[in-house]
Amino acid sequence: MTRDSLITSENDVDIGLEFEGLEDEVDTFQEEHERERHRGKRRDGERAKKKKRGNGEGRKRASRAGREEDKLQARREKKGRRKKSCSDQQAEGREGDEADQPTMKSSKAAKTRKNVKNEKTRKVEKEEKEDEADDEERNRKRKKKHGSNKKEENVEDGNTHTVKEKAGELKKKKHKKVVETSSEKETSEEEDNEEEDSEEKEVRPETLTPEELETLKEAVDERKKLIQGLRGKPWAMKKKLVTLRESQEFVEKYEGALGKGKGRTFYAYKVMMTKKWMKFKRDFGNFKTACIPWEMKIKEIESHFGSSVASYFIFLRWMYGINMILFCLTFGLVMVPEALMGRPYGTIPRKTVPRAEAPSAMDFTVLWDFGGYAQYSVLFYGYYNNQRAIGWLKFRMPLSYFLVGVGTVAYSYMVVIRTMARNANESGVGDDNSFNFSWKMFTSWDYLIGNPETADNKFASITTIFKEAILEEQESRKDDNIHLTRFLRVLANFLVLCCLAGSGYLIYFVVRRSQKFALDGLENHTWWERNEVNMVMSLLGMFCPMLFDVISALENYHPRVALQWQLGRIFALFLGNLYTFIIALMDEINLKREEENIVKFNITTWEASLYNISASENSTSPPVTIQPADVPRGPCWETMVGQEFVRLIISDTMTTYITLLIGDFLRAVLVRFLNYCWCWDLEAGFPSYSEFDVSGNVLGLIFNQGMIWMGAFYAPCLPALNLLRLHVSMYLQCWAVMCCNVPQERVFKASGSNNFYMAMLLVILFLSTLPAIYTIVTIPPSFDCGPFSGKKRMFDVIQETLESDFPAWFSKVFSSASNPGLVLPFILLMVLAIYYLQSTSKSYKEANVDLKKKLQTQNEENKKKNKLAALKAQMDLEEARKAASPSAEHQKNNNASPDQEADEEEDRGRSSKNGRSPPPHRHDGQLPATRAPVPRNYPHGNQGSAGYLPSFPRENEARMHRVPQRH
Amino acid sequence: MVSPAIALAFIPLLLTVLIRCRFYFVLFYRAVLVRIWRDCVTGLSREERAYQYVLTHATPGDPDSILDAFDVWCSKMEFISTIGPKKGKVLDRMLMEQSPLTVLELGSHCGYTTVRIARSLPLGARLYSVEMDQRNAAIAEKIIRLAGFDDDTVELIVNPSDEVIPRLRSEYGLERLDFVFMDHWKKCYLPDLQMLEGTGLLGKGSMIVADNVLFPGAPKFLRYIRKSGLYEWKVHRATLEYSRGIRDGMAELVFQGIK
Repeated sequence: MTRDSLITSENDVDIGLEFEGLEDEVDTFQEEHERERHRGKRRDGERAKKKKRGNGEGRKRASRAGREEDKLQARREKKGRRKKSCSDQQAEGREGDEADQPTMKSSKAAKTRKNVKNEKTRKVEKEEKEDEADDEERNRKRKKKHGSNKKEENVEDGNTHTVKEKAGELKKKKHKKVVETSSEKETSEEEDNEEEDSEEKEVRPETLTPEELETLKEAVDERKKLIQGLRGKPWAMKKKLVTLRESQEFVEKYEGALGKGKGRTFYAYKVMMTKKWMKFKRDFGNFKTACIPWEMKIKEIESHFGSSVASYFIFLRWMYGINMILFCLTFGLVMVPEALMGRPYGTIPRKTVPRAEAPSAMDFTVLWDFGGYAQYSVLFYGYYNNQRAIGWLKFRMPLSYFLVGVGTVAYSYMVVIRTMARNANESGVGDDNSFNFSWKMFTSWDYLIGNPETADNKFASITTIFKEAILEEQESRKDDNIHLTRFLRVLANFLVLCCLAGSGYLIYFVVRRSQKFALDGLENHTWWERNEVNMVMSLLGMFCPMLFDVISALENYHPRVALQWQLGRIFALFLGNLYTFIIALMDEINLKREEENIVKFNITTWEASLYNISASENSTSPPVTIQPADVPRGPCWETMVGQEFVRLIISDTMTTYITLLIGDFLRAVLVRFLNYCWCWDLEAGFPSYSEFDVSGNVLGLIFNQGMIWMGAFYAPCLPALNLLRLHVSMYLQCWAVMCCNVPQERVFKASGSNNFYMAMLLVILFLSTLPAIYTIVTIPPSFDCGPFSGKKRMFDVIQETLESDFPAWFSKVFSSASNPGLVLPFILLMVLAIYYLQSTSKSYKEANVDLKKKLQTQNEENKKKNKLAALKAQMDLEEARKAASPSAEHQKNNNASPDQEADEEEDRGRSSKNGRSPPPHRHDGQLPATRAPVPRNYPHGNQGSAGYLPSFPRENEARMHRVPQRH
Repeated sequence: MVSPAIALAFIPLLLTVLIRCRFYFVLFYRAVLVRIWRDCVTGLSREERAYQYVLTHATPGDPDSILDAFDVWCSKMEFISTIGPKKGKVLDRMLMEQSPLTVLELGSHCGYTTVRIARSLPLGARLYSVEMDQRNAAIAEKIIRLAGFDDDTVELIVNPSDEVIPRLRSEYGLERLDFVFMDHWKKCYLPDLQMLEGTGLLGKGSMIVADNVLFPGAPKFLRYIRKSGLYEWKVHRATLEYSRGIRDGMAELVFQGIK
């Protein structure tokens, strides 16, 4: 019988192996064994506890219950199995056999078999011990130990009972195996775990008593906690991984068994659904990442060039997103309605090309300058009609135009400020001053680098950073010739200022000259002269930063500081140029308005003459229809401003691209191919390949955006153009970076500078909305073009809407709300609120700093305490060792019971040789449970504190006595 | 017609280029313009002028004083491409550490480096100096003798390096080269190195030092040693001799043999 059962069980395993195939066979086998054992142990422990409480009767009842449970389980199993594996006849037959066997089994048979079984499990156990004695999870150990200890105490009266239990356990094991084999037949590798789990869920809970459930629940909770806190544990990574895997397995397995009664299936369903949901979420996350535009491109660049270059592209993408929304607003609410529902081209003068310009209106040069047909289209302000409502939708065009203009700016403010706030939260964590070298030591590596060359550069730059930091530390103590440095810095700033002033004057000069040209008529001048302003602005924007860079070598700043100075200077340059341009434009606007007055006067005379002609000819004839192209019209300064901005954007874009092609691509080609026949090394030497200029590019982008914000009100096509530009430059720059740039020599991380860019963007946004608001508020719109023609000011459109489109009470409320008596207190309140919030945030920050300090001091104290504790533990250990060495032999013979566990673990054969006769119950199948795997490195004393865990008192004693024996 | 304003916008670029490349301009002036002018005025070659200066300003038999005189001439008067004092110190250190017995110098030019190497050699060591140009070799010979090194210590071979190297074993009876210094044509670095490998004169631990690998630069040479795996190598970064702003490097290779 025993033989049979053994053989069959082995056969089962073989079958399992056959079907498993792919997995590491021995491992799975062992795991199976161990898992089974654990489960048995736990149950036994529970039983033992119960027994102790409820004495004989309770014991009997428990055993009976256990048997019944087993029977029930067997039946259920059978049913389930039949359902599942009816395809494989042979296997089923065997299963039937096995299912019958346990019920017929007597306790005696179980006993005899137990011995054989013991040997086997012991062997397996030994192997396992060697594998993962250390990695064994501590909690589980403890649990096991409690159970086994209690069991030992109750071992006398529970002897027969354990045997029965044994039988039950074996039975169960077999069941399980059979089930597994059958399930594996039909399911794939992956799913077989789940299958097993579901089986478990079905089977287990009925065999469990409430107490067991309780402990199981506790265990599961504990595992969960462990998984959560695993990251902070001071363990080796391998151990962490093993623990994590084991705990996850455990939780996965027993979580399903926790449901009670009828709710169980529901619970299982819920668990399954959570799993599915999690998987779905993960997949969805992947999908989302795949949907982010240009993500792969940016990641690739990041791996080649470090995160600073990638931060530019991320910024570009962010900008693209914002422009997309601006474009949607202007395109959807202004351009499309006007094109679809407004009056068509050629119906009114403002929508027609004047007669004088008509012949050349379709020429490429004219169109390229955004004159001709381009000027008289939805692209520019002047085309829009001042009709209050257009089309069958009664679309309020002027109102929409105004609100979109305001809305784009408001939206931009919102987005920029929100992003800044978010970044500020991230960046305001660490203080860089207190642990300068530690920060550098542990945080300077950029883990996103995937290119060996960049990694080399990064390595070199970190080394230089260290050198510089050490030098700085040294230099902070001594100061040599500070006067010279100061003088040089002042000199450098003076030079830069000269340069800025020069460039500003040049631009002003050029703009004035272009006005003169415009008055003369553009046709008389060459292309160079016509595009002088844009050319000069672009060229200055390109070359002056280089000069600043050279000048900043004088100053001898730390590179990071130097970079900020450089950024600031370029910013000043761009801003100066932009504002010079705007001031010149203002002059031009004033000129145009004077011209407009003349035209207005002329038109009245012209109309009068027209009327006179028609009156004198014939009073009865219908009034003369005048072609809209012939009507004289004003200069329309708004369209002029829009055109200027569009031209500026176009030329700026062209310059950027041409610089890219010449400065990067052509240079790279020359360096690459001339290097074969050149007298020095071009690649490593002078021209070399270009580096990607992050700061310059970011600033270019920011100023470009500023121009868009400034000009978008007068040229609704600007966001569209900008979108196009950003789209093209994304691809072009990605290509250029990957193809012809080399990683920067100083690879620096971008995280710090991100908010710096944002701050600049905000400043630019503010500065670019200023002139736009100024023109909207102060200058009256042209009389014969644009949606606001005929009004005194552009914002009158709101008042008009309030009066005519809203009920009377609303406008009354609005007007009363806008009187100064209400507005001023409101503003005051707002200022107060801002002040209050700011002061509270400041106090929070202070509190934060205090807490940080406290934490730090506490940490130091803890460290000291730990050190003391470790020292004390070591001393105790030494003492114990000394005390133990003389009486080691004596203790070994007499005091056997406490160190038995360790003995068994070490050498089983020796204990029997020593003539010690351990109680027989210790050597049954339960034994692995009583043995706690003792970590091997305890005796070395360097882990003294670990031995003082409260849950290891007995073991501790044993270890201490046994130490001398081992050595 | 291009408008003047656009031309004015190019001024920053011009200034940048001027400032950035000032060392190259200075070098160009000293090494080319001054040389041509002095050649026309004196009718002597550059090396002869250097020799005259050394002869009048240095103590015969004292290598240090000769080297000092050379340095002064090269930094104050004209420019000659030698190894220079700064990189020379690195070379001295390497020689001290290595204390080689057989040294091969490719390209002795006018003998500055030869004297430099010879003075830090241990007793009984022998230096073979290869120079292609006849006139330079004559001056180098004079300088070497002036420094007090006889034929046993320094042997000057007047021949192109690619002819000398294959015959080193047969004609000069060399078994092994402990130290090789390269400072001749930058294009010849790589073929000569390969030739040296071919002759089998390099043993484990032989050191090869190549000057000017970054400026004027020997990219192929660097690429080769990076790839070959026969050497343990590093580049000592420094500036070009007698000039502050031009970066240059000296490659130090230690032959490891095939592992």
